[in-house]
Amino acid sequence: MKNSFDEKILEEANDWLNANQKVVLATVIQTWGSSPRQVGSRMIVNETGDFSGSVSGGCVESAVVRECIGLIKDNKPCKKIEFKVSNESAWEVGLACGGEIAVYLEQIN
Amino acid sequence: MKHSQLKEIIKKKASKIEFAIVTNLENGLSEIYEPGKSLSKEFVIHKEQIDNFFKLKKNGVIENTEIFIETYIRPIKVIIVGAVHIAQYLVDFAKSLNFEISIIDPRGYFASEQRFPDMKIINKWPDEAFKEIETNENSALIALTHDPKIDDPALQHAINKKFYYIGALGSKKTHENRCQRLKEAGFNSDQINSIHGPIGIKLGGRSAPEIALSIIAQLVSETYKK
Repeated sequence: MKNSFDEKILEEANDWLNANQKVVLATVIQTWGSSPRQVGSRMIVNETGDFSGSVSGGCVESAVVRECIGLIKDNKPCKKIEFKVSNESAWEVGLACGGEIAVYLEQIN
Repeated sequence: MKHSQLKEIIKKKASKIEFAIVTNLENGLSEIYEPGKSLSKEFVIHKEQIDNFFKLKKNGVIENTEIFIETYIRPIKVIIVGAVHIAQYLVDFAKSLNFEISIIDPRGYFASEQRFPDMKIINKWPDEAFKEIETNENSALIALTHDPKIDDPALQHAINKKFYYIGALGSKKTHENRCQRLKEAGFNSDQINSIHGPIGIKLGGRSAPEIALSIIAQLVSETYKK
């Protein structure tokens, strides 16, 4: 049996919007291999880079925050981004666990 | 997504309606879908797959499309018998784990609102109280009074309704006596063995929050075993 999987991120997004913040919702839509968070995991980001929730185990959140701020600046409705396994020798964002994830970003307005 | 749609999703979640959010990842259009209800032109061609995801309580992208589905299911119902100290901590854990708690306790002095703010406590004996709660094999029971007068009728109800998790607080000796009483009441050994007693995983803790943690850990573990 599956427990209903709910971390109350949408409720928090609503609070942020009611406080006149701009909010981008990031959702894990696909995973391959051993990714840390399951499909449907969420985080929200505002225009100043505050964020809540998670789409990985802390591996790619900083990049997601950057992308979300970019989406707000460019005033785009949505975007899909993918993260692959990180290269240990390079300073790049990636998933140390060896998995891959696709994250969907959408502005709420 | 529009803010108005987000508000509608939150409202549906709060009213415990099962639904799905369907999103076109290419153009950002999304809508709320409830089984049996119609879909807009944008999504209606995917209805069969959407219903299939819904049936399997699955989240994901429909193969060879850019359509993402997220299903929302009802929280699991957990009935606690005994508005005791441990129950206060169970309520806290259950909130973050998204279990839907009901507390039954016929003893008014335990079931006060001050002890359980914002929590509906059914101040009745279990036989009466269960008339107000719809339960089935996806429900769970945590019996905490270790008073046979209160716990036993609740345990019998849970066994008869085939709850997926039944746990009862009390020492090994208390549990042996409980099993004996259930045997005399006509329950078979499979039914009696379905009760987790003494309740909780072996954590070694003694305080009320520690016992609550061991109970909720067992509940989560049994939820995913099923």
